[in-house]
Amino acid sequence: MGKITKCCVCESKLDKDAVGLNKKLLDKNLTRFFCIDCLADHLDVSVEDLYAKISEFKDQGCTLFL
Amino acid sequence: MIYADNAATTQLNKAAFEAMTPWLLNEYGNASQPYAFARKPKKALAEARATIAKCINVQPDEIFFTSGGTESDNWVIKSSAFAAGENRSTITSAFEHHAVLHSCEAIEHLGYPVGYLMPTTEGLITAQTLNGIISNTTHLVSVMYANNEIGTIQPIKELCNVAHLHGSLFHTDAVQAVGHVEIDVSDLGVDMLSASAHKFNGPKGIGFLYIRKGTKILPYADGGAQESRRRAGTENIASIVGMATALKENFTGLKSNVAYIKSLEVRLLEKLSETNIPFVRNGGDNTLPGLISLSFSGADGEAILHRMDLMGISISTGSACNSVNTEISHVLKAIQLEETLAKGTIRISLGRNNTEEDVDFIVAALAKVLTKIF
Repeated sequence: MGKITKCCVCESKLDKDAVGLNKKLLDKNLTRFFCIDCLADHLDVSVEDLYAKISEFKDQGCTLFL
Repeated sequence: MIYADNAATTQLNKAAFEAMTPWLLNEYGNASQPYAFARKPKKALAEARATIAKCINVQPDEIFFTSGGTESDNWVIKSSAFAAGENRSTITSAFEHHAVLHSCEAIEHLGYPVGYLMPTTEGLITAQTLNGIISNTTHLVSVMYANNEIGTIQPIKELCNVAHLHGSLFHTDAVQAVGHVEIDVSDLGVDMLSASAHKFNGPKGIGFLYIRKGTKILPYADGGAQESRRRAGTENIASIVGMATALKENFTGLKSNVAYIKSLEVRLLEKLSETNIPFVRNGGDNTLPGLISLSFSGADGEAILHRMDLMGISISTGSACNSVNTEISHVLKAIQLEETLAKGTIRISLGRNNTEEDVDFIVAALAKVLTKIF
C-alpha cells in the first residue's frame, strides 16, 4: 500500500489528479499538497477552472495524471 | 482576458477581415480561368502581390504566396539544397524556428551537409561566427531576422554580405519581424525571405516567400501554372487579400505602433523592477518591440504560465514539463542560459491592442505567482 496523501488544509485524501495539479501549478518538488477545493481557495480561482486544467493536462498526455 | 502572446499569433485586423469576405462569398471565381468571372480575383491577386512587394521594397513578381512561414522555410531549405546538389552545404543557426531546423535535419538525413552557427549569450549571430564556418561550398545561409523566443534582431545585412562574398545565397526567416519592424529587403540584400500573415494581424494559413529574381531554387509544388509554376495550387484569394490588407495597415502605422509597444515594454520592466523580484531579461539590447523574455531563477516557467492563465493572462514559456523532467527550449540552450534561469523563463509578447492597464495587471499577477506558493 502506498502512502496516503492528505490535503495540508482540510486533511481530505488526495487522488493522483490533485497531487499532479499541485505539482503543475505550484512546484514540482512539493511535499505538501492541497485538495482541489482548497487549492481553488488558495489560488483564488474556481474549482471548474482547475478541473479544466486537469483535463487539458490529460489531453496532453501528462503522466502526472495518468 | 489579457492576451500577451502576440509572438504566437495576433488578432485578425478588422479591415483585413472585411477585405476578405467578398472573396469567400461572392467573388469565388478561380483566378486561373479565362472568363469574366475570374477577372476580379485575378486583379485582386495582382494588387495584393503589389501591395506586399511595396511594403518590403521588392518587385511584385518576386513575391510567392504560400500557406505560411513553415511552408516558406521548408521550400527554401529543401528546394535550394536539391537544386545545389549533395556536395554543397547549408548553414543555419542553432536557435532557428523548428520550421528551419527540422527542414535542415530532413536534408541531412538525405545526405546534404548542414552546419550550425552558435549565438552569443545575448542571442546574436555574428559575422565573425559565420566567417568561421562558411566556405565556397556553402550554397545557402539561413538566419532568422529576429528570434521568436528572445526577440534578438540579427545583423542580417552584415551576415548576408558574408554569404554573398562566398558565393552563397542568403535566406532569412522573418516571420516574427515582418509587420513589426521596418524591413527594406532590397537594402538588406537577402535572396529569400519568409513571412506569415497571422503574425502581423492577418489570417492564419497564408504567408509568402520573397525570392530574388534569378535565384536558383526548385518549385515547392508541381501542378498548375500558379505562382509562376513554382508553387502550384489554386490561390486562396480571400486570405491573400487579407494578408496584404493587414500588412499595409501595419506598415502604415508602423512608427506609432512601435513607439507605443516600446512604451508598454518599458513600463512593464520598470513596474517589475519595483516589485524587487529578481529577474533577467534575455535577448540583449536590440529586440523586437514588445517581445520580453524574462527568467526568474529557481522558478518554474510552466507553473507561471498556468497560474497566469488561471488569472486570465495568456503568455508563453521557454520550458515545458514532459512529466519527468523540465525540457528547456533549444533557444535557451543555444544562448547557454543557466539551467535555474532557463527553467524559470517566460515570454510576454505585447501587441498594439494591449494597454497600460494590461501591463500593470500582468506585473501584479507575476508578483503574486512568484511570491506565493504557500
